[in-house]
Amino acid sequence: MTDLILVLVMLTNLKLLASSELGASIRVVAVQGVMLGLLPVLAHVHDLSLHFAALAVGTIALKGAVFPWLLFRALREAEVTREVEPYVGYITSILVGLAALAASFWLGGRLPVSTVGASSLLTPSALFSILAGLFLIVARKRAVNQVLGFLVMENGIYTFGVGIVAEMPFLVELGVLLDAFVAVFVMGIAVYHINREFDHIETNRLDRLKG
Amino acid sequence: MKHEALLWLLILVPAVTGALALLLRSARTILGTMCAGVGISVALGWYVAGKVLVSGPVSAGAEWLYLDALSAYNLGVMLLIYGLSSAYAWVYFGTELREEHLTLKQARLFASLWCGALAAMTLVFISNNLGIMWVGIEATTLLTGFLICVHVTGESLEAMWKYILICSVGVAFAFMGTLLVGASTHGLGLRAPEVLLWTTLHAHAASLNPACLKAAFIFLLVGYGTKAGLAPMHNWLPDAHSQAPAPVSAIFSGFMLNTALYCVMRYVPIVEAGTGNTGWGLRLLIGFGLISILVAAAFILFQHDLKRLLAYHSVEHIGIITLGVGLGGLGTFAALFHTLNHSLCKTLAFFAAGRLGQMFGTHNMTKLAGAMRVAPVWGVGLFGSLLALIGLAPFALFMSELQILKAAMDSGAILVLVLFLFGAGVVFVGALGHAIPLVWGKTTATVQPARAGVLETLLVVLPLVLLLVLGLWMPGPFQTALNAAADVIRHVNPVSAVSLGGVTP
Amino acid sequence: MNALSFIPLLLALILSPLLFGVINRTKALFAGRRGQPLLQTYFDLWKLLQKGAVYSRTTTWIFRAGPIIGLAATLTAAALMPLGNFPSLIAFPADFLLFVGLLGLVRFFTVVAALDTGSSFEGMGASREVFFSALTEPALFIALATLARQTGQLSLSTIFAASSDAHWPHFEPVLALTAIALMVVLLAENARIPVDDPNTHLELTMIHEVMVLDHSGPDFAFIIYTSALKLWMLGALVLGVMIPSSGGNPWLNLAMALGGMFGLAVIIGVVESVMARLRLLIVPQLLVGAGAVATVALILTLR
Repeated sequence: MTDLILVLVMLTNLKLLASSELGASIRVVAVQGVMLGLLPVLAHVHDLSLHFAALAVGTIALKGAVFPWLLFRALREAEVTREVEPYVGYITSILVGLAALAASFWLGGRLPVSTVGASSLLTPSALFSILAGLFLIVARKRAVNQVLGFLVMENGIYTFGVGIVAEMPFLVELGVLLDAFVAVFVMGIAVYHINREFDHIETNRLDRLKG
Repeated sequence: MKHEALLWLLILVPAVTGALALLLRSARTILGTMCAGVGISVALGWYVAGKVLVSGPVSAGAEWLYLDALSAYNLGVMLLIYGLSSAYAWVYFGTELREEHLTLKQARLFASLWCGALAAMTLVFISNNLGIMWVGIEATTLLTGFLICVHVTGESLEAMWKYILICSVGVAFAFMGTLLVGASTHGLGLRAPEVLLWTTLHAHAASLNPACLKAAFIFLLVGYGTKAGLAPMHNWLPDAHSQAPAPVSAIFSGFMLNTALYCVMRYVPIVEAGTGNTGWGLRLLIGFGLISILVAAAFILFQHDLKRLLAYHSVEHIGIITLGVGLGGLGTFAALFHTLNHSLCKTLAFFAAGRLGQMFGTHNMTKLAGAMRVAPVWGVGLFGSLLALIGLAPFALFMSELQILKAAMDSGAILVLVLFLFGAGVVFVGALGHAIPLVWGKTTATVQPARAGVLETLLVVLPLVLLLVLGLWMPGPFQTALNAAADVIRHVNPVSAVSLGGVTP
Repeated sequence: MNALSFIPLLLALILSPLLFGVINRTKALFAGRRGQPLLQTYFDLWKLLQKGAVYSRTTTWIFRAGPIIGLAATLTAAALMPLGNFPSLIAFPADFLLFVGLLGLVRFFTVVAALDTGSSFEGMGASREVFFSALTEPALFIALATLARQTGQLSLSTIFAASSDAHWPHFEPVLALTAIALMVVLLAENARIPVDDPNTHLELTMIHEVMVLDHSGPDFAFIIYTSALKLWMLGALVLGVMIPSSGGNPWLNLAMALGGMFGLAVIIGVVESVMARLRLLIVPQLLVGAGAVATVALILTLR
């Protein structure tokens, strides 16, 4: 079951790299977040404690409902629906994504960590999410796409955490979740301000500060 | 028990002040409350830090909060900078209020975020749990993001967006590193809450998985290095520091960069002991430090904007501190000394730049020419701080840089020595080339000469005097405190000449 | 090669035109009509075989040879494809390479015959066909490579025999991904929606139909039969991946396979009824997506 979720996560990353419609991208990231929220519950299905259940519920609520809501609000303010001519075209993005997937599997095998989790797909999937998120931040122009890239990166790091640290202290996980929430919140407000000031949210056009 | 309560208060006081600031009605009251709250925190913090430096580490909250010599020293320096900057903010925004450039909403935003950032940075220093330390750093990124665009302009928004995105990505990498450090304890049988406690990791450092630690350190250095402004991850720094209002730039350069570097310093003894004391991690630090110095030197040569120039100076000095920590031994001592010196100096420089910018209406150095004639007090402040920044004797920065040079010489790292001197030399020439016309050139703008008040004069004189005094004489207790702090980082052997590829003495 | 290995080939030869009937019936039912008789394709083939052919004066021997070579190649390929638990007539290691090569040969001669007419419509269809197949073939190859690697076998018959019930739980995500990729390849290769609309009568929107516009009489009958066989074979490929052959009664397996084949035809009919054809600019993204899915399956297998 864990394997299936991780394969689905990899497919959602590929879909993100190929998607040009921002609304679809936000939904895909939400689905990814929800699936990853289920991971620790599945990994500990035998000794399910209140803290895991609460964390899973919190993660799913946050990533599945709150983040999309914040981002859709930012989209509506900016009145955009699609990505603009990205730096790297969509088919090339898929090919780069496949190369990144191969690299993640290769790297995952050589990383000197023993996966505590139930599946050997955890480390490659985590690395792939991180690389896909970085690629989105670098290769896309709309600010909302960059926020999505950051979220995908956080998802990847979270997957990594589930895999290699047997039990993270509850408070730390809560802190991380809170940080992610505040980050998306802050970025949403930033996008609103940028749109109001510049009348666009294409970050490649923010280039007045040089040198 | 009393100390434990104090540790909790250190976070609560700024948090409460920040919340309070949101409720008040007059901008002046808000600024005043903010200064008062910061003042209380400074007093409390110095008391606790003094206690720790005298009698040893203090911990609270089931060992989740912990203050030892290193964090106490850094806490002390931070509170000094925060105190000075809050006083300056009173002056700076006071002028803006008089000219009606500051609205009530902006004042509330500024004060609450200012206090919130103080609380977050305090959290970084007093937390023993490396995960919570990470949460603190990420919190500082998010809270200070909007401090950059208190005044919303196109450039400040651009700077803020770059800052938030680049630093969040960097700090996310740092979290990967934290996870890897946690994973390196696999097999030691530690209980879950202890896995990320620094004291536990420090105690077990020799038995951690070295390969894991190496991978972790790379992520941590790149991640926290982004936040600290190490090249080549420093791209956000010039924009953010130049677009933020002067008090905020002072805090950024004066303390936030050091906070991120402190996080790296926390990991150094663990990584060193874990990788068998081969100096692997230290060599990485030296590399990044040198790159930062050289990159900053290159960019300083052709700056037009005063605050951008100061921002690149920050990159250079963070590089020097990193280099010092990497050299070990005397270098670590000098690096910690340098954090104090650089913070004081940079803060003063930003104070001056800010006030002059207010008077002249611009930060462009050609338009600011002849500042000494128009505003003698701040002109002296600016020139003095610029001189100190480039390492002129007998200011304290000269002493700390000299000590780092000596450490490099002792280790036989001749190449490091040469590159450092080259970079410092370029910076010297470049910055002086900017500074002299700035202060004594022909005044091109018609500006009313402004008289500086008592508080402003104090804000200029105090740091300069401190820097001069420390450059000439290091008080005994201060030296002991510095050594205690440095010992936390370097309880391993200093880097040997052979491992640096230098001449064997 | 025993008597039983003739069965997949015989079934393909006899039953493949029935697939078109099932698809058309499904579409008609969706539209609320009663639709054509199930055996309509057989009647069409019979009618066409009895007619005479008309050849344009601008065409050469390539135009006449195209359909014949196509049929010959497809019949050979049909001899390579197993069904159910029965091995194919011709089986040797790496025979799937020959299979793909034969399909490529058919496509080549269709394209060349189309270009031979000198008409711009056929040329347009030819260029589209070649472009899309350039994107589809990697997906097909990668999917076949995954299957070969996963089962450790190199011949189509042994691959499908090896992917039995015992292997399913281990291969789950890989087989699912491969099946998805092969399904898209099926739709693309057989000119079905969402890649090409078989019912359109506007030449500008056709891909496969327009290439065979000028064939008539027996040639056209060969072409229709070739398409039916191609659908059957690729369907057998998809079924081999999706339905594991259990180790029990081979006749039961065959019945299941036949049922699956007609179920697949119904699914194609449903897809054609609910979707419209994708814009020609979006089709490459779909095909590369299928290739990506197949590559993910391959990477999962190789780790």
